[in-house]
Parts: sequence; structure tokens; C-alpha cells
Amino acid sequence: MSYQWDFAPVLARSNLLVTGLVNTIEIALISIVLGVILGLILAFMRLAQRRMLSYPATALIEFYRNTPPLVHFFWFFYALPVLANISLNPFVAAVLALSTQSGAFYAEVFRGGIVSIERAQWEGAKALGMKRSQLMRRIILPQALTRMFPPFVERSFELTKTTALASTLAYADLMYQAMIVNSETFRPLEVYTTIALMYVILLVSASTLARLAEIRMTAYR
Amino acid sequence: MNYQFDFGLLQDSFPVLLRGLAVTIQLWIPSIVAGFSLGFFLALGRLSKSRVVSIPCLGYIELFRDTPVLIQLIWFFYAFPIVIGVQLSPFVAALLALGLNTSAYSAEIFRGGIESIAKGQWEGAKALGMRPEAVMRRVIIPQVLKRMLPAFTNRAIEVAKMSSLASILSVHELMYQGRLLSSTYYRPLEILTTVALIYFVLIYPGSYLSMKLEQRMASKG
Repeated sequence: MSYQWDFAPVLARSNLLVTGLVNTIEIALISIVLGVILGLILAFMRLAQRRMLSYPATALIEFYRNTPPLVHFFWFFYALPVLANISLNPFVAAVLALSTQSGAFYAEVFRGGIVSIERAQWEGAKALGMKRSQLMRRIILPQALTRMFPPFVERSFELTKTTALASTLAYADLMYQAMIVNSETFRPLEVYTTIALMYVILLVSASTLARLAEIRMTAYR
Repeated sequence: MNYQFDFGLLQDSFPVLLRGLAVTIQLWIPSIVAGFSLGFFLALGRLSKSRVVSIPCLGYIELFRDTPVLIQLIWFFYAFPIVIGVQLSPFVAALLALGLNTSAYSAEIFRGGIESIAKGQWEGAKALGMRPEAVMRRVIIPQVLKRMLPAFTNRAIEVAKMSSLASILSVHELMYQGRLLSSTYYRPLEILTTVALIYFVLIYPGSYLSMKLEQRMASKG
């Protein structure tokens, strides 16, 4: 271990890494929002009584849960443009890949939360003469939301970590910026250690926020 | 959508993809075997009463859980050799990163499992005069393994998906072969879709098994 650590060249380029961090947070937030919307649609389709709705949703969810995210990134970036005769920039392809994949996982989180509500709650609401939409809005969802919260946060963390794959499509996220800094400084040890710590700080502070939010959400108990 | 599919070329490329699949399996199985075994000892370390043991284990686990796998792979390939002074082959670096990552996640599964065993079990076994390691081996571990089987299956699935990232270090596994073939033939749609389907066929049985196990356990209560 005679290696001399030298963080100075890396720190001199910290503005590149900060740009990367901002881009990582941006792509993660956009994909979380789109993923939640898609997840809600898929969850309600899967819960629907009609097979025409539930079967395609199940197939889509299972497909995305059982294939690697990297394949989706490449598929959206290289294969979809061929199929649809359009061209996508890396950012759009990465957002599509991330939000469809996380949509499939979110759908399972939402569905799990909804089916976990005891039967008596459904029956009670029905007995009071509520319509299905009222029953969902007034009785089931408020209770399911607090139960969904922890797995939802975990999924969002997984998504944030998966954003690093966008670097393979040359989207300028933290990982990609690190590769650039590395090629300028030839200091892989310092560069990759630094960004690993940046991800740790990002996720640890996000998980602290999530824990505070969870305490507030369950304060009524 | 008047794209002409050319699935004929898959006849030529399928054997290549299968060779890639073989490498994927060579990465996958050793990573989960090594990861689960190391994870067990990490869990014991994490549960240890001595802080000198438990805090480093906690740090290790959190470091691997709070950074993207892609960084871990790149770190072990580009940065770690500088620390140890030996250049690693892409395959070894990928194996190391995947195995250690799995160990951190499975440590948490083991810990959850060990903590979930009722206290009476420990006391009963001690009262029968068993030494701590005998209690672990004969009483606790068999129950933990059974109870945590779905969680371990899920982890194995995640590792199979993560192994696709080894393509970035140019390990010749399934994703790498798929990327190579799709750029050679300019047929990303057919090749990448096939790659996705091969992954699905590889991963779905495990996913199905874990779902069935969870259902069986839930019905037992």
C-alpha cells in the first residue's frame, strides 16, 4: 500500500461532479413521478375484474420485473427508434426505461397495499351504500397509503441507484461525469470513491427525510 | 410501423447468445453462493454485542446498499487494482463486485430472519445445554432459512439481473453478446428483444417460485 492518494485533481473538477449530481436527481425525480402515474394505472388494471384489462397489465408487470434494467435502457435507446421510426435522445430513452420499469414495481407496491386492507373494511363501506369509487377514495386508499409508504420509498431508492445506468447511453449523470473526470485526471481510485460517497450521502439524506415523513404519516396511530 | 422484422438472423446469432447465457450463469451462481455465505457471517457480525465488530459490519452493509451496483463494478475493475496492486480480469472484478454486493443484502435478510426467531427458542436451546454455535446451527439457522426462503429467492433474481451490468466491463455474458450482435448486424430490435426474452425465461421460474412460497407461507399464517 504505497499508493499516494491525491484528491486535489478531482476536487478541482468538482463543478463537473455537482452538475452530474443535479442531473441524477433530476432524472430520478422525473422518473419517479412518471413511474407512479404508470404504476397507478397498471395497479388498477390488474385489480380490475375484466380479464381484458388485468391480463395485459399482469404480463407487462411480470416482464419488467423479470428482465434486467440495462436491457430496457438499450432497448428504448436502440430498438424502439427502429420500431417507431423516431429518434430519442439519451435523456428521453433513460426516462422511458426507468419509468416503465419502476412503474411495474410501483404497481405491485400499490396493489399490495390495496389488497392488504381487511375485507371487513370493504364490506362495511359497501353496506353503507358507497360506490366503488367512493369506497376507494374514502376508505381504502387513505389506509393503504401509509402501508405502501415504506416499500414505495425502497423502490424509489432502487430507481435512484438505477439512474446510474443512464451513463451507458451517455446521459450526463453523476456516473457519466465521473467517467469524464477520470479520463481527464487518470485517478480512478479517487474519482470513483468520491462519487460512491456522493451517492451514499444522497441516499442517506433522502432516507432520513423519508423516515421523518413516515413518522408524520403514521402520527395518528 | 412498416418495419420488416428479420428473425432469420436469430438462427445465426442464437448460439452466440447461448454462449453468453452460459457466462451469465457462471457469474450468477458463484455470486449468490459466495454472497449468501459471506452474508451470514456479516449478519452475525452486525448482531454482535461488541461495537468493534458490529459498526464496521454495518458500515460495509450500508456502503454496498447505498451505492449503485454499476459503481461497485467499475470501482472493483478500475480503482481496486490500484489499492492491491494487481490487475483483475473483468470477470473476476465483476464476480467480486456482485458477490460482495450480494453479501451485504443477504446479511440484512439473515439479520431479519435471526431477529424474527422468538426468544423462547434461544432460551429453550440454551436450557438444553447447547453451546451458542450449536444453538445457531441446530435451532436458529434451519428456521431462518425456511422463513427467509422467499427473500433469498428474490435476491437471487436481483443478482441475475445485476449480472447484465458486467457487460460494461466487457465480460462476455448475455447482454454483452446481445450488444455486440445488435451493432454488428444493425438489428437492435430483434436481438435486444430476444435478449430480454432469454433473461425472462432465465429469471421468471425463480420469481414464480418465490411468489408461490410467499403465498404458501401467508396461508399458513
